[in-house]
Amino acid sequence: MNTKTVVKLGIGILVIGGGIGYFMYQAMQSSWAYYYSVDDFATAGTASQGQSFRLAGRVKAGSVERDLQNMTLRFTLAGAQTQLPVLYKGVTPDNFTEDKEVVVEGRLAATGVFQADTLMTRCESKYQAKVK
Amino acid sequence: MPEFGQFALRLGLLLSAYAILVDLVGRRWNRRELLASGRNATIGCLLCLTAACIALEILLARSDFSVRYVAENTARALPFVYKLTALWAGAAGSLLLWLWLQTGFVVLAFAKFDRDSERFCATARAAANLVAVFFFLVLIFDKDPFGLSVTMPRDGAGLNPLLQHPAMVLHPPALFLGYAAFAIPYAWVFAALRRDDTSQPPILLSLARNSALFAWMFLTVGIALGAWWAYEELGWGGYWAWDPVENASLIPWLTATALLHCARTFRAGTKTGLWFMVLALVTFSLCIFGTFLTRYGLVSSVHAFPEPGLGILFLVLLIVIWAVGGPLIVRGHLRSSATAQTQGPGIRFVVWNNWLMVLLAFVVLVGTLFPFLSGLVSSQKITLKSDYFTKITAPGGLVLLLLLGVCPHLMRHGLSKSWRIVGAAVTAVAAVLIWMLAHDLAIAYLVACAFVGMNLVADFIQRYTRRGVPGEATPVGANLRWHGARVVHIGVLLAFVGIAGSGGFDLQKQVALRPGERTQVGDFELAYDGLDAQHGANFTAVKANVSVYRGQTRIAQLAPAVAFYSRSEKRTSEVDIRRTLAGDLYLALTEVDSGSKLINLTIYIKPLINWIWIGSGLMVLGTALVLAAGLGRTRGAPQGNGQ
Repeated sequence: MNTKTVVKLGIGILVIGGGIGYFMYQAMQSSWAYYYSVDDFATAGTASQGQSFRLAGRVKAGSVERDLQNMTLRFTLAGAQTQLPVLYKGVTPDNFTEDKEVVVEGRLAATGVFQADTLMTRCESKYQAKVK
Repeated sequence: MPEFGQFALRLGLLLSAYAILVDLVGRRWNRRELLASGRNATIGCLLCLTAACIALEILLARSDFSVRYVAENTARALPFVYKLTALWAGAAGSLLLWLWLQTGFVVLAFAKFDRDSERFCATARAAANLVAVFFFLVLIFDKDPFGLSVTMPRDGAGLNPLLQHPAMVLHPPALFLGYAAFAIPYAWVFAALRRDDTSQPPILLSLARNSALFAWMFLTVGIALGAWWAYEELGWGGYWAWDPVENASLIPWLTATALLHCARTFRAGTKTGLWFMVLALVTFSLCIFGTFLTRYGLVSSVHAFPEPGLGILFLVLLIVIWAVGGPLIVRGHLRSSATAQTQGPGIRFVVWNNWLMVLLAFVVLVGTLFPFLSGLVSSQKITLKSDYFTKITAPGGLVLLLLLGVCPHLMRHGLSKSWRIVGAAVTAVAAVLIWMLAHDLAIAYLVACAFVGMNLVADFIQRYTRRGVPGEATPVGANLRWHGARVVHIGVLLAFVGIAGSGGFDLQKQVALRPGERTQVGDFELAYDGLDAQHGANFTAVKANVSVYRGQTRIAQLAPAVAFYSRSEKRTSEVDIRRTLAGDLYLALTEVDSGSKLINLTIYIKPLINWIWIGSGLMVLGTALVLAAGLGRTRGAPQGNGQ
């Protein structure tokens, strides 16, 4: 390889790599979400209202309230020590039941209720991690 | 019976370790009897695995809940066929199935024993058995399919009702067939790099090529079935959620696609030759890594460092593969670059395609691993929402489409001036303008799809009008291969049309309805007529009757339902779909109050979505055609491969 090809190659890699890096950074920045367990969220995250979070916890038994007229779902997301009320509007996954591990995505409202726009259940048949 | 299975696994471990030893020693000192022993040990290992699979099947069929795997994945009342398919319902059984298939392929491919290929096959067997040893270790010490239950349960946990679906029965084994078959190109690469005479093209190349095609075909089947199942069964109107489990199968599929394009143009000692070898190793490594990722919950867990336990063996395996394979590839490249041959101008296209595919695989991998990576650099765990993937893969897909449009031209003539290159440039500019100015990515995609469609049609016209040139009779195999490749590409195009249409023009509406009420969605008017209840043995199903009108005429009667399973407190929603080639009307009954008959209905309109399934079908069909052409050709060739 002579110097000319090296320079050409270097510029090419810089331009393409930079472009891709920029694209990735852009895409990441807008879909960034902090991932906490409910307990960690209570100790760390309350200050940052309006930010996007993803929280994992357990649906507290007996806390699920469905309002069919307004198509909302309220439940309490419980960790080992803390609990957090959640309001969710959208399609409830089939395997959503009480006392089950779920992940919610959304923001904390000023009222202290977590406004979730995504509700996910762990796919127990596929994630074998917790079988042990 | 469980003891028998455990014994078979331990014997298999010993045999595969022994096979590595004698194959390498026999190869080094050229001892035929050792090579024969290595081959026999590999066959013995296959027999052990077969015995273990049969033992597990018998335990599953008998509902022997003293075995933990049986208790966790089946129940007494489960239909018999699901008891048998529970072999791949859990991690332990899946790994066993994968290893069994892989060893089967290895025996089919590398058990040959003639003067030409015995040394070559020995190295390939050693590389494959290395993987087998690690799989055996995981199976014996961590995910033991024959491990006993602590207490004998009265009944098993059963299979999630969501998974009791034909697509979900076939989806895992299709993926595992694909993963296992990628072991053949992987093992072949080691053998090809270790050969003594580099002036000759490596033997068994067509075998590696065909296995890659075969593996890609089954990976496509597996991914498409998974997507279809998600669409039919999960009731959220989508088919792909960029979930780590889904990405784990997509990432190797992307690199495998690049692998196939290199396999087509492979010549020893050239650029695509090097790419082929690297991609074969990368693809197989990603298959293993993806399995490790999903089976050990590395990214799904909230904790920054979940305990992978003995899953770490998979990482050790990957390190070993690359510690041995990497230097071999570098050495092979240095040895051959002195005599590097140049290939036709179109090779540039294959290389671009490779880079693009590898790049897409990379950004998806980074996105999937992001929660884990962020946990490494900070105490906080950060995840990316699924729109990251859409944003980042959208421009890549567009470039891919444009390449697909010009590729047949590029392959023949390189970058010389032609209307196709001009057309591609115009389309690219138009697409980027539409995307940037109108923010309508779907339209940009459809413009690109139209361009690709025109080019594919032009290909056919060119081929059939150029017929009759004297002395240019095409053999049947080449003809079949050409048509197979076109069918695959038409399939890719149609899948893109479906993805763009269903992603860009979809409508979603969630409504609360009482009997007699109506709602308008898109062109359709839906009337809720009432509820029907249905009582089964272990479930109660509630069905909502919905009439669909367009204008004044009733065009369909749909009945989405919810089934409640009394014992497990589980419920499954059974969506109802009005399917047309123009698009689907998809109804999911999300909530129901049987007293007041108030329902919540989620309505999706998914234009063009069926073209995704049609396109996937064509991709598989086209690959089968190419594969048939390849098998037909190698049968007559002197380097026939015994498949």
